[in-house]
Amino acid sequence: MKLKSLKITAIMIFLSLAVSAQDWIVPDDQKNVANPLPYNLENVKKGKELFLKNCKSCHGDPGKNNVLPLVPPPVDITSEKMQKNTEGEIFYKITHGRGAMPQFGATISDDDRWRIVNYIQNFNPARQPMLVNAPATKAKLLASVNEQEKKVEIFAEYLAADGYIKLPNAEITISAKKNFGNIEIGKVRTGENGRAIFTIPETLIGDEEGYVNIVVALDETFIADVVTLDKAKVGQLKQVQKLIRPGVLWSTNENIQIWLLISYICVTGAAWLTIGYVAFQLFRIKKSSKTESSNIS
Amino acid sequence: MEKNSRRNFMKTLGASLGVAGIAGGSGLLNSCARVESNTGDKIKLLTSSGELVEVDKAQLKPADMPSLAENQKRGRAGIPGKSWVMVIDLSKCRNARECMKACQNHHQLRPEQHHINVLQMQDAEHTAPYYMPKPCQHCDNPPCTKVCPVNATFKRDDGIVLIDNERCIGCRFCIAACPYSARVFNWFEPRDAEKYAGVTYNIEANVPQKKGTISKCLFSADRLRDGKLPSCVSACPNGVYWFGDRNEDAVTNGTTKETVSFSELIKKNAAYTLMEELGTKPRVYYLPPKDRAFPFQGEIENQHKS
Repeated sequence: MKLKSLKITAIMIFLSLAVSAQDWIVPDDQKNVANPLPYNLENVKKGKELFLKNCKSCHGDPGKNNVLPLVPPPVDITSEKMQKNTEGEIFYKITHGRGAMPQFGATISDDDRWRIVNYIQNFNPARQPMLVNAPATKAKLLASVNEQEKKVEIFAEYLAADGYIKLPNAEITISAKKNFGNIEIGKVRTGENGRAIFTIPETLIGDEEGYVNIVVALDETFIADVVTLDKAKVGQLKQVQKLIRPGVLWSTNENIQIWLLISYICVTGAAWLTIGYVAFQLFRIKKSSKTESSNIS
Repeated sequence: MEKNSRRNFMKTLGASLGVAGIAGGSGLLNSCARVESNTGDKIKLLTSSGELVEVDKAQLKPADMPSLAENQKRGRAGIPGKSWVMVIDLSKCRNARECMKACQNHHQLRPEQHHINVLQMQDAEHTAPYYMPKPCQHCDNPPCTKVCPVNATFKRDDGIVLIDNERCIGCRFCIAACPYSARVFNWFEPRDAEKYAGVTYNIEANVPQKKGTISKCLFSADRLRDGKLPSCVSACPNGVYWFGDRNEDAVTNGTTKETVSFSELIKKNAAYTLMEELGTKPRVYYLPPKDRAFPFQGEIENQHKS
């Protein structure tokens, strides 16, 4: 009997949780707040950038439904459930957050949050999509390093109907490999001839000999192999500080005390001198005993 | 003459017995190490990259594990050329406690033992409370290593403060010396003690834990040697942790895998270290809990009112 009632309460709690997980009530006065920013390409593009940086880790890639398994679950932004929301509702939810969803009101400005709303609206069937999902074109990327002038020379081509032709005005990202990931060191656009030259900043740190592994990549609208330029001698030398000297009593160099070091050296020196003196005396005794015995015989 | 030959006989006997013993012993050991070689028998194995493969039993060889002596030697030396630092962004922490779980699994800690602990903080009466993950600070001027009477805990060249539990005598001087309460003592049999009985001690993960010795955060030194981020850093779902090498001025976020300049990150966000007035020179930097991503939901006793 008791167990049964326990079960029932458990189910009730679970159900209530499930219900609360589904409904996210937005105050009525917030529902119909109008988007102050126009729905245009510029705002949608900026919104996409912000989405990739702040939202993608949980909400996944739009349309792929690869959301993180959280409770309450995140929703794919192209889904009907997301698009049912008014612009004001989406804005309110981004601003205040709930459960595992951060309150972005603190970290993203009002305008930028409206830009994210604009980006989500891009997938609304009622709207004319601003970002057209054109199939990615195949491209080729060639790059080499000029170690003297510390420059990366890049040449890009893309696959047109009649073979590969040069690719103008494409964004190329240059990064350097570090321990746990690649750090972006700059972006450059290809010129009319499909070429670009990127000057490596002076401040880039390489390994102990100044070698850097450079990664050159095209933007995501192209399918191209990432070019990795291994061991380019273009960086500053990595300064490695020696923290520990073997045999230091206080374990770090800075903690060594001069008076202690000097007295230590003096005492050990004196000890060795004493040992040497005794050994020398023993040697002398042996020698003198030998000469004496030879004298007797 | 007779005496002499008998002595010689005993000598040769002893020597030959010793040699035979060694040979026999190593033969026994060899037979233990060899895996049964019935060709045709196949077993399924999970590779480190997550693939399930089928391998013939005859091809199996025991993996090369570094011996205890070698492990201790390289554990003391550290990873050459590195200088590990951690940056903790307090504005992102929501007390998810994934870091603590991952840490306790990795280092075989009991539920009440923490190498990293998420604390609820309030600095003064009217200030906003926040969550603060607190691992070992890996000080460049560590008070704990200096009080150890047996040189069991030490500072490495890559900045990590480690413990050798094969040397530790359990005097707990280091617990008393640490101003950050970063160390824990194994008062009881450690978690999964029976499961890991007889496993060779790994100084860089401090496993298996030993009753009567100290344990502490060690930036998952064994994972760093494999080129992986520490357990807590990779486990965090909210992008709280940045970890990297100060020598190359780059830190990587464990959640977003974004890599940024370490000096810029701590400069832009006004990073600070805990209790820098003690002169311990911590290697863990905190970004202040400004513009918090999640509301504080804990309960804090108001200790500031009198």
